[in-house]
Amino acid sequence: MKLLSNYLKEMKIAARGFYFYIEIAMAVILLAVLLFVVSETSTSDSKQFVYNDMPERIAEYLKDRSIEKGEARLADSTEFVLKPAEFGTKSQETGETTAYDFDDEKVVELETIEVLDSSTGELEETVYYAETEEDMMRLAYGESEIGAIASMNGRGKVSYTYYLQGYETDRLKNLLYISHSKSPGVIDSKKDKQVVRTLGAAETLNNRENLVPVFIAYMGSLMGFFIVMAYIFYDKAEGVIRAFAVTPSSIWKYLITKIFVILTTVVVSSSIITIPVMGGQPNYWLFYVFLIITTFALASLGLLVASFFDNISKAFGVMYAIMISLMLPGFSYYIPSFDPLWLRFFPSYPLLQGFKEIMLNGDAGYVLAYSLVFLAGGSVLFVLANIRFKKTLTV
Amino acid sequence: MIKKILVIFRKDFLSSRRDAMAAYIMVVPLILATGITLFAPGLNDTTVKLAMLKSDDAEHIEYMEQFSKVELFSSMDELERRVEKRDDIAAIVPSSNSYEIILQGNESEIVEEYAVQLNTLYELGATKEETTARLISFGRTVPPLKAKLVNMLILMTIMLAGMLIAMSIVEEKAENTINAINVTPISQTGFVMGKSLLGGVSALLGIIGAVLITGFYDINWFMVVLVGLTSMILSLVVGFLQGLSSEDVMEAAGSVKLLFLPIAGSIAVYEFLADKWQWTMYWSPFYWAYKANNLILSKTADWGTVLFCTAMVLSLSLIVYFATIPKIRKGLS
Repeated sequence: MKLLSNYLKEMKIAARGFYFYIEIAMAVILLAVLLFVVSETSTSDSKQFVYNDMPERIAEYLKDRSIEKGEARLADSTEFVLKPAEFGTKSQETGETTAYDFDDEKVVELETIEVLDSSTGELEETVYYAETEEDMMRLAYGESEIGAIASMNGRGKVSYTYYLQGYETDRLKNLLYISHSKSPGVIDSKKDKQVVRTLGAAETLNNRENLVPVFIAYMGSLMGFFIVMAYIFYDKAEGVIRAFAVTPSSIWKYLITKIFVILTTVVVSSSIITIPVMGGQPNYWLFYVFLIITTFALASLGLLVASFFDNISKAFGVMYAIMISLMLPGFSYYIPSFDPLWLRFFPSYPLLQGFKEIMLNGDAGYVLAYSLVFLAGGSVLFVLANIRFKKTLTV
Repeated sequence: MIKKILVIFRKDFLSSRRDAMAAYIMVVPLILATGITLFAPGLNDTTVKLAMLKSDDAEHIEYMEQFSKVELFSSMDELERRVEKRDDIAAIVPSSNSYEIILQGNESEIVEEYAVQLNTLYELGATKEETTARLISFGRTVPPLKAKLVNMLILMTIMLAGMLIAMSIVEEKAENTINAINVTPISQTGFVMGKSLLGGVSALLGIIGAVLITGFYDINWFMVVLVGLTSMILSLVVGFLQGLSSEDVMEAAGSVKLLFLPIAGSIAVYEFLADKWQWTMYWSPFYWAYKANNLILSKTADWGTVLFCTAMVLSLSLIVYFATIPKIRKGLS
């Protein structure tokens, strides 16, 4: 009962403050971004600049054939500004170097073709056709994209010279070499015979939905860590915490009330983002259980850190370092090929993956297992924070 | 006036040694820069991963290792469990007289495309030696992702400096130092500048250190310093406005959270939206700072563009500053 009255009192204070409304406003802005700015399908921004070193009618024939086969579509021509540039090139095979110095600035309008994925019809790459080899080189250098010369030999075979930036991996260079060791027709017909087996009908999130776990994890649970610290330092500055030393109320009730306030804010803001975007797809029971437990665990961490410092300036280094390190698993979430083992030990890794599973209505066992881990870890941190606050409180 | 500002700067510098504020602004970017240097190669190598059986032909495994990161497994069960894990990995395993590709089903399309392409080339007996392709390199060594991370780090340093300036001002308010300033010979503007100078200078040094640690030695350092100085003014304005407009730490924390929006929005618009949508972030000084830094770090900057971007950062920061002078006066009174 005492706890409830403390919570209601804290909520009244929070409702009078500026912060509670910032949270709601942030959630509404993020929802608007998701609904009106982020598209459901991801669009490729891969570009290539090509110079066709072959008779124009053959180049046109090759382009038309790709368009007819549905492999590409003609787009509006694109304007580029070629700025003065000075650079060198080095041949991978011979080591021969060449220096280039262009001191003029010119505007070029390039024919643009969009290469499409043969199975989905989605944009795979945008190809810009330069009129001269020099323009192609300047564009590839200036735009930091791949450039290529497509040449035709006397026997009618097309060969490619690629202009790479220099930081590409050896594996990618090897792939470029080997992809041009057999004729495209032979490769394509063999590709069609490949046997691909999928282990299950795994669900995927679309481009927009894929952002929801990130917003919830970082703007919700993770922010609980930061905001609970701000609450504690605010109360420290106001002398509220010291006042507890002379009241019959126990310190843990005060601490848990702070967490309840954060939980209320996080539940409201996360619902504002999740429900309109995800609709009825997620398992909402699991969502709220996981959200509440992870926010409790991270807020408890915030309480423990706050117990070691007098004010927010002094705590800033530790707070900032923890927040940045907790953001690192975001790289793995967005770059699935970057998934080193050490990254999986960061609590935000299962946090992100857990919310993703919930959005997919997927592996409930994973979510429940990590809910238990977060609950146990959060409880330990909360007990430690309580001990620390009890020790450091003197009248 | 200058002398008084420097006196406040010196006082802040001395007091900051106790709570290590300046050290945080300088050291945090350096630690993060070291992290970027260590992790960037792994982030850049986005080659598709392949799972294969240890019992597979050694020559087949060696072939695939030329093009992808290969993980080996003793049994099919182990291999399938690996494929079912949360990251993207395709398996290529022997099946009757040929090979089959195993996927979990939720991988990005490029993973399937890559695995199919590699298996096709292997089955055709394709070798690098028979290629008709030639490769020419511009000799760049810094991957774009690393430059983007360093650029984000620069914006985060600006934000960090702004946050710390804001927090220290809120604390000064709580301790009534601000009221005390009104009865000293220093003007309010002088106090504003002196109070913020420490955070700004620390941010500038932190940014330069971070750029050096991440290996960007041969960039145009005059441009870096110019953008750094304007970014310093930006962090001063952000920090001071946040500090003075916030009544307490909670409000300052809320403002910090709000600040994420223009920063993240500026980066997202610059990186992900088409040219026709770039105007949507022209109002944000962070957009112009990010753009200028991006051009400098990728060594494609020209003076005209950099000067324009820095002029935009400066103008937008000053517009915000002058537009909020009444609020600053109120906060100081």
